[in-house]
Amino acid sequence: MKLVTAIVKPFKLDDVKEALKGYGIHGMTVTESRGFGRQRGHNEVYRGAEYEIEFVPKVRIEVLVDDIQATAVVDTIMTAARTGTIGDGKIWVTDTDAVFRIRTGEVGAEAV
Amino acid sequence: MFTWKKLAALSLFTFIVLIVVGGHFSHHAGDPAGLATGATSDFLTASGAKEVPVSQVGVNALANEAGHLRVSINFTWTLITGFLVLFMQVGFALLVTGLTRAKNAAHMMMMNIAAFAIAFIAYYAVGFAFHFGGIAPVANLGGVGVLNSIKPAIANWGLIGTKGFFLQSGHTYDVGVMCLFLFEVVFMETAGYIIIGAIAERISFAGFIAAELLLGAIVYPIYGNWVWGGGFLAHLGQTYKLGHGAVDFAGSGVVHATGGWIALALAIHLGPRIGKFGKDGKPHAFPGHNLGYVVVGTLVLVFGWMGFNPGSTLGATDLRISVVAVNTLLAACFGFVTAMAYTNAQNGKPDISMACNGMLAGLVAITAPCAFVAPWAASIIGIVAGFLVCWSVAFWDRAKVDDPCGAISVHGVCGVWGVLSVGIFADGTYGAGWNGISGNVKGLLYGGASQLGAQVVDVIVGFAWAFGITYIAFLVIKQFVQIRVSADVEIEGLDMPEFGAYCYPDFVLHPSTGNLAESDVMSTTASRTTSPEPA
Repeated sequence: MKLVTAIVKPFKLDDVKEALKGYGIHGMTVTESRGFGRQRGHNEVYRGAEYEIEFVPKVRIEVLVDDIQATAVVDTIMTAARTGTIGDGKIWVTDTDAVFRIRTGEVGAEAV
Repeated sequence: MFTWKKLAALSLFTFIVLIVVGGHFSHHAGDPAGLATGATSDFLTASGAKEVPVSQVGVNALANEAGHLRVSINFTWTLITGFLVLFMQVGFALLVTGLTRAKNAAHMMMMNIAAFAIAFIAYYAVGFAFHFGGIAPVANLGGVGVLNSIKPAIANWGLIGTKGFFLQSGHTYDVGVMCLFLFEVVFMETAGYIIIGAIAERISFAGFIAAELLLGAIVYPIYGNWVWGGGFLAHLGQTYKLGHGAVDFAGSGVVHATGGWIALALAIHLGPRIGKFGKDGKPHAFPGHNLGYVVVGTLVLVFGWMGFNPGSTLGATDLRISVVAVNTLLAACFGFVTAMAYTNAQNGKPDISMACNGMLAGLVAITAPCAFVAPWAASIIGIVAGFLVCWSVAFWDRAKVDDPCGAISVHGVCGVWGVLSVGIFADGTYGAGWNGISGNVKGLLYGGASQLGAQVVDVIVGFAWAFGITYIAFLVIKQFVQIRVSADVEIEGLDMPEFGAYCYPDFVLHPSTGNLAESDVMSTTASRTTSPEPA
């Protein structure tokens, strides 16, 4: 199994969710998060003093999938979350040793 | 070695003795039931007649009723506008809490409500007597002639009132006195919470209580006496032929500048917040945590100001109240638009918090002249205030005085502008007999240059008193009380160490500024090492 993790712009969350539901995934987990990438943050002025917004608000999406679905899920997220401007975010895929469903005790692919 | 517990017990004992003794010896020669306040004489004074002929018994009864109604209307107006001023407390709590960081939000809210209770008690105990204990009868409120002792008893050189301690001494258990007290105590409260904006996020609660007691009992009422209580600044017209003496309709100077200058003295004693100024001396921004609070708070203050200024006639029978109300709102709107446009020109975007400060700056500035100027002048006063507040915020930043909410700029600097603007724009349509000088109040533009002279004296004396006495008093107070929290507490946030509760316990707080890196922070140890060990 694979864990697909994506950091996307918050306003793209609905697009990504709809696209993933359309693809047929069974579930996802979403977390509010903040961070910066190569573009760093940006400067603003508050009461005459300049300050840097270093951590930009983002949404972190996690989806557990079968090995064979991983590439397609990554493509789905990438298409849905892309605006073409800086700060679109990142996606990465990690191997997952085991998955359990708490209610039934199912293990592995059945638990995804 | 005395302890704070002993001191508190001693204060409480003194307090109870004063109330009991005051009650016992007070013969209640005032009018506590309100049956005698407002009579024929009040009607006659208003209509200019000397007396009702004895033959006209019916007319006499009618005049008696008219006099009572006249005073009743004025009581109603004064009390209701006083309640509006009280509501400004809500606006200020929201404003200053919104302008500061979430980690200090409970501390900010607690200071706002504690200011109300503590300064109120100080003003009730002695402040009101110092302030109004020697005011001449207030015709609109049916007399209040029992407040008739000002010291020293040299004509036109009064410094302090001496009747009405605990609202008991000198037969001041009286409906007129209570009406005046209610309206004036909420004005004092305004100065009381103004200071919070400049001392926020670093003052200890103990230091804050000391500041409120000093303000409510001494600093505010004594200067207030000089301008409003029949003291020497009000009589500059008689003593030095300076116009009508110091004219401050609703308190740009008495309330706002006083609050602003007390705040300045405290901010200097406290020093800047950790991380406010970088090693290069550049000010860092600590964005406020809730601009929604800031905007709602500002609007509540505007609403409350509809009591603050129009209510200062102390009577609805003075129809100038409509002019006052409109002038007040004009200055507010022009102040807002000016600050909005100014920050937009400077930074490419309007700054919401500065625009709100601009609106308050306009209100503060129009508070002294609101009854004496025409609408066009009110607009100009608001525009100048809008510029002044933007310039002043940058000025205090350069001077390394940390004022998180702009209290010194909005209330101190724009308060001074308000007092001066009376001496420039007063158009001679209002104020007949003000401070005992015949004729209406006229400013520089209408041939009244000497009025501007009185205003300048008022401003200088006001600054010297409020700033000076607070600065000196706190030199002493900080030998006994730790007025600033420790660096650890300040960095963690004051809520839990000072009160054992978070304002937002369900959330993980993460301030949006990363400017607190140790290497980039100018030392503020000078102000922190002067505090003694806690007892």
